[in-house]
Amino acid sequence: MRLLSAELVESREILPGQYLQTYLAPDLALAAKSGQFVHMRTPDYSGLVLRRPFSVNTADRARGLITIHFRITGKGSEWIARSRPGERLEMLGPLGRPFEVDPRSRHILLIAGGLGIAGVRLLADEALEEGRRVVLLFGATRAAEVYPSALLPDEVEYVVATDDGSVGQDGFVTALVPEYEAWADQAFACGPFAMLKALARLAAGRDARLGVARLGGKRRGRSRTPALGSAMARRHSFLQVSMEQHMGCAVGACLGCVVMGVGSAPQRVCREGPVFASDEVDWEIGW
Amino acid sequence: MRRTPAKRRPTVRRIKPAIVSGRRPVTARPATSGTTAPTAPGPSRTPATARYESVPASESAATRVSGAGVDLSVDLGRGLVLENPVLVASGTFGYGVEYGDVVDVQALGAICCKGTTLRPRIGNQPPRVTETPAGMLNSIGLQNPGVDGVIEKYAPLWATWRGPVIVNVAGESIEDYVGVVRKLEGVPGIAGIELNISCPNVGKGGLQFAVDAEAAQAVTAAVRAETELPLMVKLSPNVADVRAIARAIEEGGADSISAINTLSGIAVDLHARRPLLGNVYGGVSGPAIKPIALRVVYEVAQAVDIPVVGIGGIGSTEDALEFFFVGASAVQVGTAIFADPTVPARIVDGLARYCAEHGYGSVAELVGLALPKGPRARPVPPSVKGVEYRP
Repeated sequence: MRLLSAELVESREILPGQYLQTYLAPDLALAAKSGQFVHMRTPDYSGLVLRRPFSVNTADRARGLITIHFRITGKGSEWIARSRPGERLEMLGPLGRPFEVDPRSRHILLIAGGLGIAGVRLLADEALEEGRRVVLLFGATRAAEVYPSALLPDEVEYVVATDDGSVGQDGFVTALVPEYEAWADQAFACGPFAMLKALARLAAGRDARLGVARLGGKRRGRSRTPALGSAMARRHSFLQVSMEQHMGCAVGACLGCVVMGVGSAPQRVCREGPVFASDEVDWEIGW
Repeated sequence: MRRTPAKRRPTVRRIKPAIVSGRRPVTARPATSGTTAPTAPGPSRTPATARYESVPASESAATRVSGAGVDLSVDLGRGLVLENPVLVASGTFGYGVEYGDVVDVQALGAICCKGTTLRPRIGNQPPRVTETPAGMLNSIGLQNPGVDGVIEKYAPLWATWRGPVIVNVAGESIEDYVGVVRKLEGVPGIAGIELNISCPNVGKGGLQFAVDAEAAQAVTAAVRAETELPLMVKLSPNVADVRAIARAIEEGGADSISAINTLSGIAVDLHARRPLLGNVYGGVSGPAIKPIALRVVYEVAQAVDIPVVGIGGIGSTEDALEFFFVGASAVQVGTAIFADPTVPARIVDGLARYCAEHGYGSVAELVGLALPKGPRARPVPPSVKGVEYRP
């Protein structure tokens, strides 16, 4: 975690109201892992007292660049979208815990709902770099919201579903998952709460069906179960989700951005998350 | 199953105090320069088992001079002498460890930790925070691991810090407050108590003690009877006349008063057509409430003789100066930390520079410059309940 000022290099409106901005921030580009985020101060210092969290969308270590992908939803994002190349914005990061990929996983399934693509985009790059195969299932409300395939590496198998059927499969992206579930070693998702909840149900069903084949589980006759929430436990889980919540400090001090974990233990999205194994979250309570 | 948080050693470089076994005496240090030799052991350097002793202001002023020649120290009573008058407000700085090496906790006058209750609390349903015009709303609902958890997890670490940690104590009944304070008494690493009788975000308790002078005095006196720790009581602005309550708290035996807590407010989710916060109600903080906080400090500083700690929308040296001028002896920075965690340290430097530039030898000389001249220029009205506010 560092406090730094990053220079805006390029700002593009890639979809209506959605921006892809490239920043020169060598320290961040080196340190950031997929799933982590930066907390950006808006250029309007007088009126907007909170920073804005953005997933690290891509990181180019060689050139020291990171990108963020966001939609204009309010004043803060509007200010940031209005920034021009050459301006410097203050960032705090990288924050949060990254996705945990099991070294033995060869097939990676990414599931993104709308802007959730920004949460898993970097993982596609990382997985390809490590020689894994990647399928990206993407869901959007309509054709105009579909992430341009030109912004994805060629090696990624890109499957689209739209709610109105205007592009790709007609329906929710979650309907595509059963087709790829058996192929995938691990799945990583980012998107609306309802989508993640549906996926968590699918993942739990898979565990029940397959009897949860935990690799390397038995040692000297007794199984060693890693503690819930540990990196090891997350690596062994089929589904990891990246979650969203209204955020205050983004370092774990204010306790503003919690989701309810199992056993009535609130988990901070900024600190224990934003990535959680699907079995860490209490999906029924709906926090 | 509740998971134990990772045992995380902060990476900030810390200087061990001379006495680590007992409760540390709080001594001042040069604020703007790290190169000056440490101050000689003063009268506040008591044996490990001894209670805090109040240091006469004249003595402390003589020995505590910063590199810039400005004395930033502030005496909040009962021996709680801070090296500088900039504290971090409860709830915005966690337990002092969260910001890691982004913030040098040693540069802070003191840390007020997250509100602590007798038993663990899971807090309110999210969303818990949202931005509002020139401020924010929060409704955390006092999520905390309980006083035992705090003592076990954080107090040993605090004992190694040079800056004092003031534990913010919340509860639903006088018994709750007394129970928490009893457990904190004598724990190494805990330098004082901030009595949170003004949390607007919990169903029972909290606010009820801050809106009624008799209840405020009762809870203050009950806690005072249980502890020798320096006692700061945090006022709510959600009352008709804050002066009567401040007087009652002073009579109850508080060593200082901090003002203000957040103002009760609501945000609406335009798309869902319902209140945005999970708890409906939240507390407004940030620059939006600064004029109200200044008014409360202005009134309270004239109503009581104990030090007042100003809180509310402080984000710059200028903001802090305004609070000193209306009678605050120290300030707490809260919401501004979220935008820029380096704000408290910059205010400390800014205060020293302001004093040096304007010929003040100490920050204490700034306190109350904007107040009406003469002692008690404005008579304190008698305690009145339910009467319309008249300034």
